[in-house]
Amino acid sequence: MAKKWIYALEELGQEHINLVGRKCANLGEMTKLGMRVPPGFAISVDGFENYMQVTGLGKRIETYFASLGEDLKKSVQKQMDASRAAKDMIAKTPLPASIVDEIVSNYEALCARCGEPDLPVAVRSSGSVSMPGQMETYLHVRGSAEVTRRVLEVWESTFNTRAIAFRLEKGMPVDKAPIGVAVIRMVNAKSAGVLLTVIPTTGDTDRVVIEGNWGLGESVVAGEINPDSFTVNKASMSIEKKVNKKTRCVVSTANGTVKADVPFHLQDMPCLEDEEIRELVRIALGVEKHFGMPQDMEWVVDQDLSFPENVIWVQARPAKFTAQRKEAEADYIVDQMARLFRR
Amino acid sequence: MTNTAVVQPKMALPAVPGFEFDEKADLEQSPAWFLDGTHSVPPWTPLFGWFWINFCRHGMQYGAEKLSLPTVKGWDWRFKNGGGYLTVMLVKSEEEQRQREERFRVAIRPFIEDYDGLWRSQLDEILALYEDLKQLDLDKATNIELLDNFEQTINVCRRMWEVHMYMMYGTYTGYILFENMCRELMGIDDTHPLFHKLIAGFDNKVLQVDKRIWEFSQKAAQLGLADVILHSEPADIAAKIEAAPNGSGFMTAFREFLNEDGWRMQRMSEMNMPTWIEDPAPPLTNLKQFLVKGGGFNLEEEREKISKEREAAEKEVFAKIAPEQKGWFTTVLRLAQKSGVFSEEHDHYLDLYTHAMMRRSALGIGRRLVSAGAIDVLEDIFFIIPEEIRKAAINPDHFKLQPIVVARRAEWQEWCKTPNPPVILREGFDMDQAMAMLVKSNDPIALKVVVGSMPIVRAELNADLHGTCGSPGVVEGLARVILSEDQLADVQPGEILVAATTSPSWTPVFSFIKGVVMDRGASLSHAAIVGREYGIPVLMNVFVGTQKIRTGQRIRVDANMGALYILDK
Repeated sequence: MAKKWIYALEELGQEHINLVGRKCANLGEMTKLGMRVPPGFAISVDGFENYMQVTGLGKRIETYFASLGEDLKKSVQKQMDASRAAKDMIAKTPLPASIVDEIVSNYEALCARCGEPDLPVAVRSSGSVSMPGQMETYLHVRGSAEVTRRVLEVWESTFNTRAIAFRLEKGMPVDKAPIGVAVIRMVNAKSAGVLLTVIPTTGDTDRVVIEGNWGLGESVVAGEINPDSFTVNKASMSIEKKVNKKTRCVVSTANGTVKADVPFHLQDMPCLEDEEIRELVRIALGVEKHFGMPQDMEWVVDQDLSFPENVIWVQARPAKFTAQRKEAEADYIVDQMARLFRR
Repeated sequence: MTNTAVVQPKMALPAVPGFEFDEKADLEQSPAWFLDGTHSVPPWTPLFGWFWINFCRHGMQYGAEKLSLPTVKGWDWRFKNGGGYLTVMLVKSEEEQRQREERFRVAIRPFIEDYDGLWRSQLDEILALYEDLKQLDLDKATNIELLDNFEQTINVCRRMWEVHMYMMYGTYTGYILFENMCRELMGIDDTHPLFHKLIAGFDNKVLQVDKRIWEFSQKAAQLGLADVILHSEPADIAAKIEAAPNGSGFMTAFREFLNEDGWRMQRMSEMNMPTWIEDPAPPLTNLKQFLVKGGGFNLEEEREKISKEREAAEKEVFAKIAPEQKGWFTTVLRLAQKSGVFSEEHDHYLDLYTHAMMRRSALGIGRRLVSAGAIDVLEDIFFIIPEEIRKAAINPDHFKLQPIVVARRAEWQEWCKTPNPPVILREGFDMDQAMAMLVKSNDPIALKVVVGSMPIVRAELNADLHGTCGSPGVVEGLARVILSEDQLADVQPGEILVAATTSPSWTPVFSFIKGVVMDRGASLSHAAIVGREYGIPVLMNVFVGTQKIRTGQRIRVDANMGALYILDK
């Protein structure tokens, strides 16, 4: 097992999607663009592959699926049975010490880096193709034993019934699937939300709009509450604030995320400081410039870290906005108009 | 020996130097030249012809080039006996068509992305140019300033035609696309009543002017002026009102309105009739007709109904469209709806207004020429052309232009006696081939203004005449055949107007007539658009309506079926 199969996020980029999956590659790419992401490491698809090979599990699962033959495609019941059987095989095959050691040493290094023993982390699946049914995410995972257990559970999720059904439907090999795992420090969100480097309703690219709420970003993304809104002029960096009454938020607990009341004294307070707003915009404009198109980004401000380390990004993708859709419409209309002259 | 140069008739230039129709050379260039019957019948005066041929021609080539229309480079124009003759300039090779299409894709985008902003900016530019021209006090100006104003007017006319044709080509492209989509999605074209419902129910500047006149009719009634107006002949209305109690204040307000919106003449494409500002008789006649008719301003009453019908029609159409297609379909629908508004407003702001500016500037110089004895009467100015005006404008006392005027006026009177042929064809080339050439050009203006749709003859209807539907509806009433603008004052409320074509100056009568029958026209013709807004049926492309129908005959117009019945033959 000479080949390296665990990477620091900083080592990764867009080109590593097949190696570590999309999620990890994206996080790596973001660090390259100067975006702070939660510290962590990526387990490449070779990690799962090693486990399957070293333990001989890969062969056994392969033989098992071969024995099921064509019938598997037709029966959901058979797929559920296969799922249970494969997961059972995995559960009965402990991780080899070599693999456990590698994961544990990286986790401990992360704990040391963050200065916290038994650092709470998130363990997330990172597929190279987005595959329904294998999007396992475990939050607030603490300690080496828990972390290795959750990594194995992410691997196991490739044999969820839906994942099996999906591979069958797409004609992909059913007995194996490449999957990476991201192990990253849990962010203790003070506030979170989205940032767009374009006003989505008008296509105005001279301004940035930030929306945020206390706690995790889910409440903003889901559009359930009336978030704060900060509009920033890209040229002058002047900030226009619209602070709304925020009564509910989403917080993270060991048992997952739950909805909670916002403490009364925070309800009418802006969820971002001016310096945090300016830092968000500064980074966002760099990313926008890099990709040459407006960006739709998700951010978190960590309450345990000090500025500017507390300004953390979890997502960046090209923004969808009205003008762009209009552009596509206009393209279509132009095509049709050109066609009028070809009669 | 005299110091005054007498210009010999035989030395007189042709009316439009460089663009007189030359049978040999021009038929070699193109096998078919069409008479612009909409604008140049009756024949133009030489000065107006000079402006039109030079700059409408320039504007069409400018517009087609600016938009890089893939298959057509605009129209070429010639002048012949007061008539404007046009031919389309086809793009010759497929390679060039491809190159033009590539540029077209970029050039057409502003029409899709921000139509209103585009039209507004073009309009603002032109309106500012008019204001500049009007700055000059013609009576106090020096001859140099008058000539300068005239040269500026020439440039404004040139720029107006650039904007006019750029906008028109772009706008009608959107309209034709919409018609095409309706044909593909619903099997209807722009002569179908449902299509008309989709694009009607919009206000525009021309209709707003109508409404102002109606408002003045209400005010006149309040001031007790109704009787005076109802008992006056068109030519005397203004003077009679002035003399009546309350009348002079009323006329002051009315003239203020005209100073704003009265820059138009009863014939759109000429400059030899007074503007409403010079002679308020036409709008006062409209006002009188409103009083005769009585009641409210029916445009407003109709508007709500028509808007509701449009919304219902949109709903009907949207039900047939896949959800992902709604976005662009809506954009194209809105473009088509704006075509009607553009068609009317451009006449008001571009053609009519510029022609009024041309008249104003020409008359300014004309008055100096008369007082210096270079011409005998003011109207003579329409029989000399800019080359001659330039010659005499600064020192008119040194020139005698009468021989030119006499020769040209005699020519013009001849033109007026003999109608120009509708088309001039190369030998061996027939009308079908000529029409095919127009269709092949894909020229949006040619398709929507010149060609139009041909009526379908349905024998089972037993109709006397057939036409195409410009505005839906069925109506029965007495016919009023109008052959020229001066007869407009004769139109009585409730009659059905029968005309060769109509001009935007005619809109006020639409508010009290029951229907319209036109010899020519397409769905973006003035009568069709205004008819739709007033909710009255319009039957177009009847071709021989003005010949076959007599004033006073009872007729039945079924625009929906494209049929016309003469009930008392």
